[in-house]
Amino acid sequence: MNNNVTEKKLSLSSGEKGIVGLWKKVISFFTGSGSLEKRKARAGWVFVLPFVIGLAFIYIPVIIESMKLSFCSLQPVRLPNGSAGVKLNPVGFANYYEALFEDVDFVQKLVGGVQQLIFDVPAIVIFSLFVAVILNQKMLGRAAFRAIFFVPVILSTGLIDSISVNNGAIIDSTSSGIDDGTGSNASTQIIEAVDIERLFANMMVGQELVTYITTLVNDIYNIVNRSGVQILIFLAGLQSISPSIYEACTIDGATSWETFWKITFPMISPMILVNALYTIIDSFTSASNTVMSYIDGIYNDSKTVLATSMAWIYFVIIMLIIAAFMGIFSAYVFYQKRDA
Amino acid sequence: MDANHIPEPQAASKVLKETKNKIRVEFERTPLMQRLKAKFLSSFFLQKVIWYIVRLVLLLGLAYVILYPFIAKIFGSFMGMDDFVDVTVRLIPKNWTLDTYIAIIMENNYLQAFLNTAFLSLCCALIQTLICCVIGYGIAKFRFRGSKLIMLFVVLTMIIPHRTIQLALYQHFRYFDIFGLVSLITGGTLQLTNTDVPLMLLSLTGLAFKNGLFIFMMRQFFAGVPDELEESAYVDGSGVYRTFLQIILPLSVPMMITIFLLSFSWQWTDNFYTTLFYSGRNAKWLMPNIVSVPPSLVTTYPGQGLFYSAIHNTCALLIMAPLVIIYLFCQRYLIQGIERSGIVG
Repeated sequence: MNNNVTEKKLSLSSGEKGIVGLWKKVISFFTGSGSLEKRKARAGWVFVLPFVIGLAFIYIPVIIESMKLSFCSLQPVRLPNGSAGVKLNPVGFANYYEALFEDVDFVQKLVGGVQQLIFDVPAIVIFSLFVAVILNQKMLGRAAFRAIFFVPVILSTGLIDSISVNNGAIIDSTSSGIDDGTGSNASTQIIEAVDIERLFANMMVGQELVTYITTLVNDIYNIVNRSGVQILIFLAGLQSISPSIYEACTIDGATSWETFWKITFPMISPMILVNALYTIIDSFTSASNTVMSYIDGIYNDSKTVLATSMAWIYFVIIMLIIAAFMGIFSAYVFYQKRDA
Repeated sequence: MDANHIPEPQAASKVLKETKNKIRVEFERTPLMQRLKAKFLSSFFLQKVIWYIVRLVLLLGLAYVILYPFIAKIFGSFMGMDDFVDVTVRLIPKNWTLDTYIAIIMENNYLQAFLNTAFLSLCCALIQTLICCVIGYGIAKFRFRGSKLIMLFVVLTMIIPHRTIQLALYQHFRYFDIFGLVSLITGGTLQLTNTDVPLMLLSLTGLAFKNGLFIFMMRQFFAGVPDELEESAYVDGSGVYRTFLQIILPLSVPMMITIFLLSFSWQWTDNFYTTLFYSGRNAKWLMPNIVSVPPSLVTTYPGQGLFYSAIHNTCALLIMAPLVIIYLFCQRYLIQGIERSGIVG
């Protein structure tokens, strides 16, 4: 079904010239006869037409423009008709050079951000899987708990999120008046890191793991807030597993622990991949991300071009991470073969 | 009914009452105490109770973590100025006051921001829902050359961060031109910033905030709709578009409600596009503009920092109030819709 061929045929068959003829050709292209397959293929184009137009006229030009800008410097000029405009001076890789080698903080923030991402993704995925499994069980008040766990998706976004970030450390102390001044209170520091570190140190599991876990536990607010959508994706996955498999397991005498690892986990592994990807994308495009807020700061500092090239560097690094991640983990995902 | 076919009662049971059609028989039952013992003193039951308690505590704890900041914000918004320097005040304010609310609503033009944002979000959400539905249907149900490529682009719009294209996007709409056509006709580029046009254009083409995700969700939903449904409609002589309008669209209403809610609330709290496209002195008054300390509440007293952050939190509360009300009524649809979409990889 080559669309070009169809178009040519149509143009040969229609005798009319000019705009009217063209319009009729366009109309007949989308509504005209042909085999069902052909008509369906054309209808498919009609359905995605808004997106294609957007790509052609807005998105791709903007992307190209953005790439071009990152290799240029902006110079404000006055246009001949008196209005203000900007002039682009190509500077080659100067912006990238400045971002990577001259800016003191950027590389540091970048490494920190990527590290944070690598730590956060497993934590969020495991946490949301755990919560989804619990919320999938029948119990009193399940609907209420589900509603509560989904609150952050609606309310902790965009503007409200940025207000909380701007308020920073004092957000919680608003409620408690002026604290004892140490700055630690119930919500920011759930457990004293020292206690748990002492506990784990006796287990000889290594200092890194201990620090990792204590940071995670203290960061629970952040993790819970960022795992709303993931919990729902897992819930959807859990409900798509047929109950008869569980029934068969129970009859064969499997414990719920075995059932989880032998049935639930493999069946839900595609969702784990999807969720990990979603978490990566979501956390690196969100404004509360440290690298993003740094880039934002640079942008508002009217070094807009530098910010654009920084964002491109960041994007490339994240793409590499995603590619590596997909390459490694897609081999381990179990897809249930479905009967057509 | 033949009386001969009634099975004879077991030897251990005794017949209590016999009528024409019914017979009541008492079997030898285990005594109540033993039954209760077997039920409640087994390790299985104990395990269940312990798991129940652990689960409840865990969920309550996590729910507390989620809700506490909101509760703290609500109480903080009712606090008078003195409460912020009073050491004895914890969470519950001593001097209840509505001054913060009144000042923000009156001085920061809350009502105007509310109306403007409501109109903008409603338009954007409606357009986005319909457009994403159409695009998702096109990708999910039709095999045509380049459908894979379009899906790739949808994913790409999800992945490329807004900050990357921020400057280019602003320039694109500040000096709007379609391949030099506009400047050919009018002799200059169009300035579309500070109007609703950029957001509407982005919504109409499925490129606005998180629309890639919506298209993806719609696609997953339609992939789960059996093809036979459409085929039977085609056999009955309905065209592709009529099938979509009369059969598929009514079917996808729950999913569309989900997408509408998400896009509405994300547009409502959006501060990226609104600050990008509406800037300058004469810009439209929208929600991000109300986040500031009202002039009448400016002070220099010691608790200033806390007081100001409480004011900002009150702004946040006022912004999210309509969303909370919508969420209370619609969360059922939201969760059902996402579960039904079955975002299976």
